[in-house]
Amino acid sequence: MNSIAAQRPIPALMAPAPDNWKLAAIAGVAVSAVAIAALPAAASFWITGAMVAMVAASFVVNAYRRHYFGGLLVSPAIAVLFVMNIFPLLWSLGLSFFAYQSNQQTIRFIGLGNYQKLLTDNLKAPELWANLTNTAMFVVLTVIAQMVTGFLLALLFAKQFPLRKYLLILVLTPMMLSVVAVGVFFSYYYDPTFGILSYVIKAMTGGEQFILMSNKTGAVAGIVFADAWMWSPFVMLLVLAGLVSVPKYLYEAAAIDRVSAWRKFLTITFPYIRGLLMLALLFRTIEAFKMADLVILLTKGGNGTMTISYHVIRIANEQNKTSEGAALSYLLLFVVIVLTNLYLYLANRRAKGS
Amino acid sequence: MSTIEVKKITKKFGDFVAVRDADLTVAAGEVVCLLGPSGCGKTTTLRMIAGLERATAGDIVIAGRRMNELPPEKRDIAMVFQFYALYPALTVGQNIAMPLHYEKLAKTDADKRVRKVAEILHLTDVLDRMPGQVSEGEKQRVAVARAIVRDPNCFLFDEPLSRLDVELRHSMRGQIKEVLSGLSKATVIVTHDQLEALTMADRIAIMRDGLIEQVGTPHEVFARPANVFVASFIGTPQMNLIEAELTGFADGKAEVVLAGNAVALRTDPAVGRLAAGKVTVGIRPRAFATTPAASHDTIPAQAELIEPMGAETLIHARTAAGGDIRVVVPRGQRVKIGEALHLRPDPRQTHVFDGAGKAVRA
Amino acid sequence: MAEGSSIWERLGFRRASGVGEAGWGHAVIAGLISFVYFLPVLIIIITSFKLQTEALAVPPKFLPTSFFGLIPDAYVFTPTLENYTSVFSRSMITGAAAENTGFDRYFFNSIVIASVSVLLALAIGTLAAYGFSRYPLKGNDTYLFVILTTRMLPAIVVIIPVILMFRAAGLSGSYVGIILLYTAFNLPFTIWMMKSFFDELSPDVEDAARLDGSSEAAVFFKVCLPQVVAGLAATFVFGLILTWNEFLFALLLTGVDTRTVPVGMNQAVAGGGIGVLWGLLAAIETLFLIPVFLVTFFLQNHLLRGVTFGTVKR
Repeated sequence: MNSIAAQRPIPALMAPAPDNWKLAAIAGVAVSAVAIAALPAAASFWITGAMVAMVAASFVVNAYRRHYFGGLLVSPAIAVLFVMNIFPLLWSLGLSFFAYQSNQQTIRFIGLGNYQKLLTDNLKAPELWANLTNTAMFVVLTVIAQMVTGFLLALLFAKQFPLRKYLLILVLTPMMLSVVAVGVFFSYYYDPTFGILSYVIKAMTGGEQFILMSNKTGAVAGIVFADAWMWSPFVMLLVLAGLVSVPKYLYEAAAIDRVSAWRKFLTITFPYIRGLLMLALLFRTIEAFKMADLVILLTKGGNGTMTISYHVIRIANEQNKTSEGAALSYLLLFVVIVLTNLYLYLANRRAKGS
Repeated sequence: MSTIEVKKITKKFGDFVAVRDADLTVAAGEVVCLLGPSGCGKTTTLRMIAGLERATAGDIVIAGRRMNELPPEKRDIAMVFQFYALYPALTVGQNIAMPLHYEKLAKTDADKRVRKVAEILHLTDVLDRMPGQVSEGEKQRVAVARAIVRDPNCFLFDEPLSRLDVELRHSMRGQIKEVLSGLSKATVIVTHDQLEALTMADRIAIMRDGLIEQVGTPHEVFARPANVFVASFIGTPQMNLIEAELTGFADGKAEVVLAGNAVALRTDPAVGRLAAGKVTVGIRPRAFATTPAASHDTIPAQAELIEPMGAETLIHARTAAGGDIRVVVPRGQRVKIGEALHLRPDPRQTHVFDGAGKAVRA
Repeated sequence: MAEGSSIWERLGFRRASGVGEAGWGHAVIAGLISFVYFLPVLIIIITSFKLQTEALAVPPKFLPTSFFGLIPDAYVFTPTLENYTSVFSRSMITGAAAENTGFDRYFFNSIVIASVSVLLALAIGTLAAYGFSRYPLKGNDTYLFVILTTRMLPAIVVIIPVILMFRAAGLSGSYVGIILLYTAFNLPFTIWMMKSFFDELSPDVEDAARLDGSSEAAVFFKVCLPQVVAGLAATFVFGLILTWNEFLFALLLTGVDTRTVPVGMNQAVAGGGIGVLWGLLAAIETLFLIPVFLVTFFLQNHLLRGVTFGTVKR
């Protein structure tokens, strides 16, 4: 790139130049501090915001003048993510060390108190543990169901055939539905009185009404089925992308070499979809950890279907124990990060191994 | 017996006819090259033999068995693909061993076979590498090794050398020829490179627009081209094809008006049976002798562009009528730009093609 | 077809001429499976044409017509468009006059909020992805990982501080607030996906353009962007599907004027105290499905090429 422009002198610390981000940062912090101390929240928020914008602008000018294109390109995204994602996350991390309820005015620093309470309290620890095992069960069941269904669907659509385009969009539709509708309508399908499931089972066995949600097995099966139905198309899409990217000539060579179907799959097809399968696994595992909406809509957490994510919502939203909810979320995040790192470690090791 | 017979085979893709009524017989141990410009249907023909495409009409007989409906797996053939089609997730050794799984050999026997072909093709050192980690030339040899590791009915090669550089191509031509000569299988090689075809093939089938124009030994297709297309396609520099008017035939000489000059050329006696009219006279650039003076059997022209080619010199000469004639002369013969030349064609290498472009021969 | 091909083959159960192609036989099997898979959606659509009593009938009424008496009347319902009109206007209390339900507004909000935020995320995220891909920073992977991590937490964790923040800034219930939030919500995914596309491009073409005197902006817009259209389309579809149906943020952060359809739907489910109005809900969902269905359908060809995430080397 342009090396002459890159050598433009960096302005002195106190010189008021549009690219002097250090001065802008100092001024910004000072003004914000004064504003927060002296003015009401609504005004100080905007003043602080303006200061952040000023610092950001000086960064941008600085980057532009010195041709730091990388930084320049990344900055808008970082800014949005910082304001809307990272900052609130840090806030709630901080909050998890306080005793705070959103319906009360008091706030008190209690250090690791929330965490301690969650992990050791006679009532809360077993509940947390039970919800965690429930969540783990849902993760395993829904992810397996989605991977298997998605994989089989992808195999079905891997070949070119008439009407493929139209049939494919039909299979993709469940993913496009609103989760509210899916939850409500599956409760309609599962309804013992007028639900289609009960009707079919009644017709087949000639017995009484079928109440799916009456026990834990049924309730879990109902939720897993609805979730797998809704999200298998996502797995299918990823696997299908891998399948169609296998060059046709490899299968032709395999035909000439008289390779068996199983070996063909193992040595040609699978290497192309392995990465995407792992990715689908990662995405769906993370989402499954967060599963709450379907549980809320189908069982309200009853019959041993309470998940950790729903638990967080209950504590934080319904019981207004904001800081305790935050602490619980961070415990959850910890688990997810450990899992993700495990995944990345395995994926990297595989990549190096081959 | 390892033979291939292709009988009146036709392939249509919708309305487009890729191959029309192609006939071809390959004997055991014979190497036949399908040669032609891109899009002429040669690869389609090969793929139909392999079973990768279905013939629209006609028969494919391999080793004495009609195999039209059989998938590639059941035809027992070996093929080298244009882009090698190496299995990217397997090592070179595993790639070569792939066709052997079908035979359910003991692992040691399979290993022995792989080692043997790897030795023949100088691949022993790279057996444990992935296809992505070996050179283009090695990839090509792996593809060949994978084909010859078993004992198939026949061999098919689809543009096997097209991705190699000139030097590698030269050495691989020799290697493949050597390997094939020891196997006595029917072999079909598809190529667009006439040098490849002329050096490797026992016989060459020249294709254009889905039709096989001529099948013959390298010598035949060069010395006795069946029509204008074959004449123009084979040989470098390209044969001169000069529009002419046949006016008569006497003393074994054809009287033609050629580039505005009436000349009498010694040709094949069959030309005598041809009615007067438009013909095309084909003369290879190396078949001219330059004479100092005009004569009844010389073509006058003026040297316009001179390209030294090393041992020889290529002269583009312009005739009075404005046509271009390519002439190759030995390096020792000095020609200046603008010099008037009198070109006497070698009667044994003068071809006359009739109005439809077919060679006129006894 | 050549002579000698059996009926079976003509039906499509053949080893077709090329590898990876199948005929009508495969289409029939795939059609059956697709139909079964689509069935729950189909029932929603059918229900949207039923009155409440028919929606709750046992045995279920499957068909809008008896096909000239072939199907027993017990399985046949009389299709009605009443649900569709009452999506937008109905009487909230039995006997009262019909009033506007606000759903016209909700649909408008959903369209504006989802499309603006997804496009915004696409614009910002594509720039960032290009930056991450072409000007690697030290610890690049760590940044990307942190960015992705923000999507792993239950939304509820972020939402409490966001509510407090929005309240302080006066952004609650405004378009700007929810659009910004959704933009941030879509960014991690967008950056990740687009980066994998930029990583795959050959830098030779870009260098050639630079040698020809193109500015960095021209290199990006004229050389790189046209090569990642499939990625943009796929990212857009995914972002749209997720944002379109997002519920929790919308529930807590939109006001009366900016409410989106999922929130309205939830109210329609909960409201009234007379149980779920199945036909009405089905009509809402059917209407709500149409835009995203059409977008997905028209961008379908890009979708498959777009979701390889650079895991497949070409």
